[in-house]
Amino acid sequence: MCGFAGIARRDASGVAPAVLQRMAAAIRHRGPDGLGAHADARVGLAHARLSIIDLAGGAQPMANGDGTLVIVYNGEIFNFPDLKDELAARGYVFRTRSDTEVLLHAYAEWGEAMLDRLNGQFAFVIYDRRDGSLFLTRDRFGILPLYYAERGGDLYFGSEVKALLASGEVPRALDPAGLDEVFTFWAARPPRTPFLGICALEPGCCARWHGGRLTIRRWYTLDFAARAAEQPGALEQLAELMHSGVRQRLLADVPVGGYLSGGLDSSAVCALATRESSAELRTFSVAFADPRFDESAHQEAVAAAVRSRHAVQHIGPADIAQVFPEVIRHTETPLVRTAPAPLYLLSRLARERGIKVVLSGEGADELFYGYDLFKETVVRQFCLRQPDSTTRPRLFDRLYPYLAPGTRAGDFWRRFFLSAGSTDDPLFSHLPRFRLTAWIKEFYSAEFRAGLDGFDALGELRDALPPAFAGWSTLQRAAYLEMVTLLSPYLLSSQGDRMAMAHGVEARVPYLDHRVFEFAAALPDRSKLRGLQEKEILRRWAANVLPASAAQRTKQPYRAPDVPAFFGRAEGEPPAYVAELLDESALKRGGIFDPAAARGLVRRCRTGQATGVREGQALVAILSTQLWQREFLETPLESGAMRYESGRFVLAN
Amino acid sequence: MSQAGSYSPTEIVDRTRTWVRENFLYMRPDWKFGDDDPLLGSGVIDSIGVVELVEFLQSAFRIKVADDEIVEQNLGTLTAIGRFVHGKLPGNGTSPAPAQSGEKNTAGAGMLLRPRA
Repeated sequence: MCGFAGIARRDASGVAPAVLQRMAAAIRHRGPDGLGAHADARVGLAHARLSIIDLAGGAQPMANGDGTLVIVYNGEIFNFPDLKDELAARGYVFRTRSDTEVLLHAYAEWGEAMLDRLNGQFAFVIYDRRDGSLFLTRDRFGILPLYYAERGGDLYFGSEVKALLASGEVPRALDPAGLDEVFTFWAARPPRTPFLGICALEPGCCARWHGGRLTIRRWYTLDFAARAAEQPGALEQLAELMHSGVRQRLLADVPVGGYLSGGLDSSAVCALATRESSAELRTFSVAFADPRFDESAHQEAVAAAVRSRHAVQHIGPADIAQVFPEVIRHTETPLVRTAPAPLYLLSRLARERGIKVVLSGEGADELFYGYDLFKETVVRQFCLRQPDSTTRPRLFDRLYPYLAPGTRAGDFWRRFFLSAGSTDDPLFSHLPRFRLTAWIKEFYSAEFRAGLDGFDALGELRDALPPAFAGWSTLQRAAYLEMVTLLSPYLLSSQGDRMAMAHGVEARVPYLDHRVFEFAAALPDRSKLRGLQEKEILRRWAANVLPASAAQRTKQPYRAPDVPAFFGRAEGEPPAYVAELLDESALKRGGIFDPAAARGLVRRCRTGQATGVREGQALVAILSTQLWQREFLETPLESGAMRYESGRFVLAN
Repeated sequence: MSQAGSYSPTEIVDRTRTWVRENFLYMRPDWKFGDDDPLLGSGVIDSIGVVELVEFLQSAFRIKVADDEIVEQNLGTLTAIGRFVHGKLPGNGTSPAPAQSGEKNTAGAGMLLRPRA
């Protein structure tokens, strides 16, 4: 995997090599093995390479034989050997062993329709010199990133926002709506980002830039047209898909490792990887000093069962606070959770042990209803059918046994779920989470709140739902919302690509092979959630791959300490930046949060009173926003710097 | 200031209001928060906050709150808290509202509650 960046000019005014160099240097961590550039009067392309396949021959930017097409590409096409055979049979000549060259010829042969043939995780830009256009695209689920900004007909693009900013031609400004979405969904919803005027290409979309104009279209749609009953042979089909998906994802000219969380999904992937590969598998896990978050006993049991060479990244009391500024530099967005930080340290460990590629279990919980959110949705629906029942709400206690208040907060705890929203709301499944997260907004400064001027993140999401949504089941809707609001913009980005690529490690996600998604989406709900048993069919399959203890293990959410990471007693004094950024004058300069409100929160954090999710996420949000502003915005937010027009913020001048 | 064990409902409400403002409304000092406004539905207190609230009431007014007394009827508003705590003070003898008795499981609940396969 790699990083790329570039500029396309409407007028033939050229792209200075120094600009391209700056852009590539900003994302050098993504590709420490080599830098390359291509520039002519209109288009400049830069590439930072992480060599995984065809170490000698895959340098980029790469042109086809007659030089009419030039590509910069980040990712892997797992079915490229088949595509290569097909293209070779049609007369294309290959000079390298890389999948990059396959993309060039595939584009020459099939044009944009090539996308339907690709199985992989990718973002790439092809410069078509025949008509001077650019073709930009991103994989189906947004595993890999692609950002762009338009300015006066010129197009700026890159794997990370920092590449665009490094051009010196894209302004650094915050998008209040983007931040408001972070404090609603945990991440801005593509195409929006927290940066004003900088967009994320939506997963499953492609764009054509021609003559100063950008046209975007969706090439892949998430569809949940389920069958009424599980088809005979479904289990065998799942087994075949998983074996084939993992086998394809082991394809590399460097050793491949695996992330092991201790849960079913990553355990099954690692078990398959050891079966499909002759080499010894290296596995990596995060272990927490705090037993409430730790899963190391399960991780070690699975590592022993799959006979991997296992390494553990221990997360001590002070580790999260120490790396948090670096984490924000890589996520390029404020956060409401610290969970990316341990993964930042984990990829560093993998890289130190010589591993550039890891398999991860991401995606299974969305496809097979693994998250508590799916069960919570069913229980809320069940309770709301008999609103006076006092027995039904007790099911919530069973759903969240790891959350301490379950017993002592009694009635109130359950009421939270029941009062979160009506079953008629299309966002029903996600309203408890969205409302819990939105409590952060209580800390907004009056000016920032006024600047949002009626922006409604939930309303915009409702308006953006696809036409088919209304026909889906409640759980299918929940899966869709989970994929577009959390999986793509947060889990695959802030916890996925960004933390792995911070240390030049490529994460591959077998469950997000689109064939697995399409298989899962066509299953009836009860094959995924039976009663309150999550991932039903996946468990049936995993029973043949894993020891019973691992295959039957109940999902434990991956969490990391929040308030204790910065204000815990065992940590001693927090790092200097914490006090500096939470200082009244720093908050005032930032302009987003009310200093007095933040002071109240810090007081409760210091005295150990802030123990709940609400205050934990508020602290992480405020601190990460301050870090993010310091890192990415040169100037503080000034009132009147932007205005809200026809559904989006624009710079006032 | 009243002696321990002799708080009036108004004093209980006043002390609790101050405590709620300091600990749950510190970020919104301008929040108009009436004695009969719901503490939970309005988002003032979350479930962790309920645990804190119970601890506060126990230590501030030297009472014991049983798990089945942690219901909206007793703790849902400042007025309810005043009445509930006052009733628990020595010599006041008013019994607080018990938790409602549970209904029988319906077939649906049985389905959801059945043991894991």
